Amino acid sequence: MKFKQLGIFSKASVIWLGIVMFMVVFGQWIPLPKPTNFDIDAMGVGLFDSLKHPLGTDSNGYDLLSNVIRGARPSMLISLISVGIGGLIGSTLGIISAYKRGKLDYIVNTLFNIVLSVPALVLGLALVAVLATNPDPNIEVPTSRRVIVIILSLTIVIIPILGRIARGATLSWSNREFVVAARSMGMKDSQIIMKHIVPNVLPAIYAVAFLAIGVVIVVEGSLSLLGVGIVDGVSWGSMIARVRGDLEYAPHSMIVPVVVLALTVIACNQLGDILRSQLDSREGRL
Amino acid sequence: MAGSGKVHMRNTGNTVLSVEDLVVEFALSKKTAVQAVSGISFDLIQGETLSIVGESGCGKSTLGKAILSLLPVTSGSVMFAGSDMTKIDKEAVRNLRPQMQMIFQDPISSLDPRYTIRQLVSEPLEIWSRGSAEEQSVKVDELLNSVGIDPTIAGDRKAYEFSGGQCQRISIARSLALEPKLLICDEPVSALDVSIQAQILNLLQDMKERYGLTMVFISHDLSVVKAVSTRILVMYLGKVCEIATPDSLYDSPKHHYTHALVNSVPIPDPSKKVARVILEGEPPSPVDPPSGCRFRTRCPAATELCATEEPQLRDMGSGNYVACHHPRG
Repeated sequence: MKFKQLGIFSKASVIWLGIVMFMVVFGQWIPLPKPTNFDIDAMGVGLFDSLKHPLGTDSNGYDLLSNVIRGARPSMLISLISVGIGGLIGSTLGIISAYKRGKLDYIVNTLFNIVLSVPALVLGLALVAVLATNPDPNIEVPTSRRVIVIILSLTIVIIPILGRIARGATLSWSNREFVVAARSMGMKDSQIIMKHIVPNVLPAIYAVAFLAIGVVIVVEGSLSLLGVGIVDGVSWGSMIARVRGDLEYAPHSMIVPVVVLALTVIACNQLGDILRSQLDSREGRL
Repeated sequence: MAGSGKVHMRNTGNTVLSVEDLVVEFALSKKTAVQAVSGISFDLIQGETLSIVGESGCGKSTLGKAILSLLPVTSGSVMFAGSDMTKIDKEAVRNLRPQMQMIFQDPISSLDPRYTIRQLVSEPLEIWSRGSAEEQSVKVDELLNSVGIDPTIAGDRKAYEFSGGQCQRISIARSLALEPKLLICDEPVSALDVSIQAQILNLLQDMKERYGLTMVFISHDLSVVKAVSTRILVMYLGKVCEIATPDSLYDSPKHHYTHALVNSVPIPDPSKKVARVILEGEPPSPVDPPSGCRFRTRCPAATELCATEEPQLRDMGSGNYVACHHPRG
């Protein structure tokens, strides 16, 4: 599908995700006030009030624009990594179990259901509490460890979501006669999965993976808001968490990260929808 | 009806396929199972076409797949190329696969929509590394030409760009790529328009002569079967009713079920009025088949005997074998 053929909303989504990815890769080299420096002369500057701080500052004098740009990297990377790893593990499990059926399928499906029954936030809270908390409250847990634990818990959340999509798609594709035909020609199961199942199942996984990226960004933000995410306003979620007390007198300091986060989630959903519609038209031609 | 027995088996030297007492069950739950195929025996001599006919759900397709070991067989034996397919291990079965190929009912669904026609037809050659890439491509062109598909125009298109009849031609080309001895056609024309059916049947007939194939032709349509077969096996609820040559089957069906089937074939002449035999009721559930003869619940000639004793196949002369206590004269 060509970019030109997309609707205006889809075009905007693609452009916005492009901007976000630009912030992820090149954000730190954009000449802006340092996100960690607070400007004592400009605390609580409003939106578009100052050329120096185009999106204003929060009540501590942190520049919102540079913070939002800096926040893109942890928010997006955590999300992309957990969806990537979780998607890979989940779809591998889903495809193999659905193709083989029998006991393996039963076990894998039960595991998926068990994990799905635990809310993502509860799982994240529990894992951070167990794995990324120091018994001595005076010693800070290193941020890197927290990030790894957060990625781990989000990965666990993603595995059954994408795994079930892969399983469902595999169940329907592996009943097609071309799979039986491949078997009757003497193709090995591993070859059948790689040549005939995976290429047909992938579009469905892509479509849902994009939706999942949006969901994971929100979950990561929620964890930050609950104080178990990344601290100190590094990601979008934790920016929101940091300024949540200022909603009354500096609402823009919350609105800016919220809008950025919301736009990103919507754009991801939209991209997922584009992929899904492509998948549908392919199916429709069968 | 619905007999077991093996009087119809011919023990000649050039038997290609010999199926004995084949049973295929599907578990419904831990305790119950459906017997889709229950104790079918037949053999197939080099160059023959055996047609298997019967109504939907009688186990025809299951039988076809079980012969190729595409389904687990519960009991019985399938002798092919000197080995019992049901006893040898998976890899040994796989090594026999090039000699036995199958054509499926739904021509479009039997071709993966992601690959081009050329890729699909060369797939079996790649699996078994037959020849170099160039030799394979020559072979693919030759196969496509022989089924009436122009490789230069069609070769690089995907399956969904073709009609059902064209897809079936492509499937036939693919199934012949490995030059099999045995070809199982599972309702190859039932998804096609009548005008296309004849073309595909002729093509199969040509290919049969060209490659010296032995065929199993599964169909629910007696008028289709008549033209192609050497022998016809009529199935009802997983059992054999009658095995006969086409002529004797059409002229004097011995089994009451066969009679009803033959009678239901439309005659393209409105002035001819035939007393139709119409079967009452539905086929019984294969989960709980009737005792004795399985056809007795719908049979006009059923007696007490039919409920108690299962009829065995018996020789009625002129190549006709029937499993019925009260065969038609």
